[in-house]
Amino acid sequence: MRVSLQSLARHVDLGDTPVARLEELLPMLGLEVESVSSFGLAPIPHVVVGEILAFEKHPKADRLSVCRVDVGDGAPRQIVCGARNFKAGDRVPVALPGAVLPGNLEIKVGRLRDVDSHGMLCSAGELGLPAGEDGLLILTPRQPALGAPLHSLFPPPDTVLEIAVTANRGDCLGLRGVARELAAALGLPLKPLAPAAPAGASAQPSPGDPFGFVRVASPACALYTLRGFRGAKVGPSPEWMRRDLEAAGLRPVNNVVDITNWVMVQTGQPLHAFDAAKVAGGVEVRPARDGERLALLDGREVALDASVCVIADTARPLVVAGVMGGADSGVTSGTTDLLLESAWFVPGDVRRAARRLGVSTDSSLRFARDVDPAGVELAARLAADLLAELAGARPTGPAVAVGQAPRGDRRIHLPSGFVAARLGSPAPDAGVAEVLRRIGFAVAPAEGGLDVTVPSFRSDVGRPIDLVEEFVRIHGTGQVPVGRPVAPTPSEPEAPAAALVREVALRLAGSGHAECCHYSLRDRAELVRTLGEGAADTLALGNPLTADQTHLRASLLPGLALALQLNLSVHAEPSRLFETGTVFRPGADGQVREYLAVAAVALAEPARRSWLARPAPDLFSAKRLVTDLALAAGIAASRLSWVPAASGLWQAGHAAELADRGRAALGGCGLLDLRWTRGLDIRGPVVAAEILLPRAALAARKPARLEPFSNQPPVARDIALVVPLAVGAGEVLERLRQAAAKAAGKDIALESVTCFDVFAGDGLPEGARSLAFEITLRHAARTLAEAEVAAVLDQVALAAGKSGWTVRR
Amino acid sequence: MATMQEQLDRALAEAEQAAASVRTRAELEALKARLVGPNGSLTAVSKSMGALPKEERPEAGKRVNAARQRAEALLAALLARVEEAELAAALGPAPDPTLPSPDAPAGTLHPLTRTRERVLATFRKLGFVVAEGPEVETEWHCFDALNTPADHPARDMQDTLYLPASFRSADAPRKGDEALLLRTHTSSVQVRTMLSRKPPLRIVAPGRCFRRDAVDATHSANFHQVEGLWVDRSVTLADLRGVLDFFVRETFGPEAETRLRPSFFPFTEPSFEMDIRSPGLGRLSGRWLEVLGCGLVDPKVLAACDLDPGEWSGLAFGLGLERITMLVHGIDDIRHLYANDLRFLRQLA
Repeated sequence: MRVSLQSLARHVDLGDTPVARLEELLPMLGLEVESVSSFGLAPIPHVVVGEILAFEKHPKADRLSVCRVDVGDGAPRQIVCGARNFKAGDRVPVALPGAVLPGNLEIKVGRLRDVDSHGMLCSAGELGLPAGEDGLLILTPRQPALGAPLHSLFPPPDTVLEIAVTANRGDCLGLRGVARELAAALGLPLKPLAPAAPAGASAQPSPGDPFGFVRVASPACALYTLRGFRGAKVGPSPEWMRRDLEAAGLRPVNNVVDITNWVMVQTGQPLHAFDAAKVAGGVEVRPARDGERLALLDGREVALDASVCVIADTARPLVVAGVMGGADSGVTSGTTDLLLESAWFVPGDVRRAARRLGVSTDSSLRFARDVDPAGVELAARLAADLLAELAGARPTGPAVAVGQAPRGDRRIHLPSGFVAARLGSPAPDAGVAEVLRRIGFAVAPAEGGLDVTVPSFRSDVGRPIDLVEEFVRIHGTGQVPVGRPVAPTPSEPEAPAAALVREVALRLAGSGHAECCHYSLRDRAELVRTLGEGAADTLALGNPLTADQTHLRASLLPGLALALQLNLSVHAEPSRLFETGTVFRPGADGQVREYLAVAAVALAEPARRSWLARPAPDLFSAKRLVTDLALAAGIAASRLSWVPAASGLWQAGHAAELADRGRAALGGCGLLDLRWTRGLDIRGPVVAAEILLPRAALAARKPARLEPFSNQPPVARDIALVVPLAVGAGEVLERLRQAAAKAAGKDIALESVTCFDVFAGDGLPEGARSLAFEITLRHAARTLAEAEVAAVLDQVALAAGKSGWTVRR
Repeated sequence: MATMQEQLDRALAEAEQAAASVRTRAELEALKARLVGPNGSLTAVSKSMGALPKEERPEAGKRVNAARQRAEALLAALLARVEEAELAAALGPAPDPTLPSPDAPAGTLHPLTRTRERVLATFRKLGFVVAEGPEVETEWHCFDALNTPADHPARDMQDTLYLPASFRSADAPRKGDEALLLRTHTSSVQVRTMLSRKPPLRIVAPGRCFRRDAVDATHSANFHQVEGLWVDRSVTLADLRGVLDFFVRETFGPEAETRLRPSFFPFTEPSFEMDIRSPGLGRLSGRWLEVLGCGLVDPKVLAACDLDPGEWSGLAFGLGLERITMLVHGIDDIRHLYANDLRFLRQLA
């Protein structure tokens, strides 16, 4: 909303309130000032229109030209100029010696690199006008008189504030609304608006009206009024109106159209004028019919359907209600008889229609924000006055009105103390009443409080709490006291994910990982890699914006792989990266679950050489990471069951994934698919780890309870087995662990079973390998006897034998 | 025949000569045996004492003892030398401590993580606890319960990312045929919290949000908010200022000024934007800058969450972690936060 201060003065006399004060004040009323610009031009003595008769290159400076300039006094001057956008014969602004340009730049006769210069040719910016294209302000198309004072070509100076109006304040999409706010804040009176055209309306057209009927057959229109005029003389608008429209950012068209726009700018009520000769029979507000087409004012032809409300005559739609008029029913230079529409359309319907047609007009913007129902008549009467005055149009009868104003003035009971209770500081009724009256609310004392009558232009105020906002806004938010820091409420449990995310981030950063942050929305190819062709589209969005952000992410690893690629390409020497965040996975039940994912990647071949090589990370360092992360989330390693990786993220044979056992966690460890990472220009393998913890199952970790531990010496024994290659070492270890634990019984603790040797080759059968384990036992209260240890080992050997594994002696 | 003293001196001299070439513990043991072992040269001299006349024996005894002491000192020194050599061998050559460590340096936390943890720590001091909600959310939790009418522009397909009708979420089950969407703000966590717990409540909810925006210097396909909600029997605007002024001072320093600028959100009434002005923000110093939206919880929201607006009142606020991070660190383009360029991340670690 562009607010010209000169236009604003029609509604409130701001006196000499400085612009800076308004810039401070408006935002505190809820009207954000987005920019301040100047409009028009103040007189600057000695700046006149001149013509460049001829020019040549400066003898000593390639970028300068020496111009001969005529300013109409018969004595062409020599002026040196640095611009290049002119040609001989162009008329341009000339600042003669003695002129003082904005920024206190005083023009004198001077020498530029040994060439005399008797003034300066000016750009728009140098004159304080909005800067346009680079170079001189070319005046040629305006055909100005030589020597004319420059400011005579421009409207008088004005300041225009560009104001952002929030969705609830449709009343401030007219100058009067803004003026009302300023008047209230500054304690100034609002100037009266008193149209001469009579109020009141009839339900039916008068005999002289240039229309036969007005019908409303759409719920999108609550109130429709139409006035007829004859004898209009269409022509240009007067200068003041053109100026006001241009200051408001509108293009003057002709006096009739300009009057409708000018009234809209003042009141916020959009109006529409038809050429009566082009309207057959009368007008009807109705849903468009499927297949109807309408050529719009902006030159497009659109296909309509029943979701769009139109104003139609007996033959065809003329206007998309509240949005845009048709090209062939508007007012032109030949128009003499007029129909003037002023109406109230349902905001949501106008918004949807505008969206559907892909336009936002001054009209749709205002209707969508809910115009003042009482303004429907007021605006039409103001326009009727101006049509008579500026176009000689005679009304043909009273307005015809169909429907009801959807909202009138409303009364709210505001209990005493209500405002104070929300404010946290005293707010006596009298003070509240005074503030509310300033913004046009009527306030009367009532039993136990105040009765506040809210005028119809405030669609957003309907409850006592809304009056609190009005009071605070006008009284000043700076008056709200700053409460003292508050005592904690009784302890509430925290979301377990918050603590976990913090802990794993610190751990991973502490172990050399740099934290990354990628977008959640990914392309389809990435999802196919992660989930496979079949499942990828279970995570597709319904209305993606761009082709590369069509799916929800199912893993953090593709993002991290791309981050490795990027950082290698810019020689930022990546080594280890990690990320935490939500990922999505479809389950076997068809439902998508949200997981808290933690993922890390590491380059197996360092990006930079070093004087000392360190062991490269591998599948087992990644497995350790996943196991540790699981433990941090309260999931013991024994609950994780590892199977060969099947997802396209991983390199077959060199990675493992977690089987979804009891929904404890998903994830994987090992090498990322080597063809993929090579395709990303990553030289060596990428070692990766990822764990996905179902958000719904995350629980706060309880403090561990101390278990007593033995101070007796441990006893360790080794056992080696020959096992078929197809049997996983983890499976063997688990079998031995169970057998040993069972054999050890209650008093002997099985402290650990570890694998310390893996061997295949000489001396072993084909298709088998030797696995050696160390079993450590400890008694709770005494030194273990050799016989006790031997008994446990015998049971372990027996169990191994039952599984078909030979014990090596 | 040499005197006893000469014999002692010779034995010691020979041992001292041999000691120069002793390098290992075995050589040391061999020398020790030659000198003081059962067949050692000193042992032989002391054995010969028995043949001396009785009156010479005390004097001879003294001489032998003195020689033994010298021998022991020699052997102890040799042992120290051998042990030193053994240790040196075990340690290997001395490294050059001026060489750089070949290990990777400590990693870095993302600036958004640092900001999030700082913000959460600030509000924890005021008794707020962290709450969470799902990123895929129902239309009811994201809009209806938050007093956002069905025809509100925020709900338009053009501004909000929706999931297809076939999508089913275990974390946000649909009621009826309502739509599922990617939450546009963390305010949905207000609703989930009020429905699942009884007031008094004081929560902060960090989380990722989505809008259907093209990515540019100030827009991102996803972004992060921290939502705050405090519901109790009489929560006031003074409380709102108290909480948020504290937050601003903790985040931007004691010299930062604040102002509450009236604004509009469907779920708060009254609604404000909080602006800050601070001298420590580089190019943006001394200008009023919007940092968060806030207000008192609209009675309709309380009612939608089965709380009686006559009994309960609340304040709510929502701040953008990207915005705060960019202001604190002087970042001018939001895309830096999602580019994952280590040259950026290491600077802000």
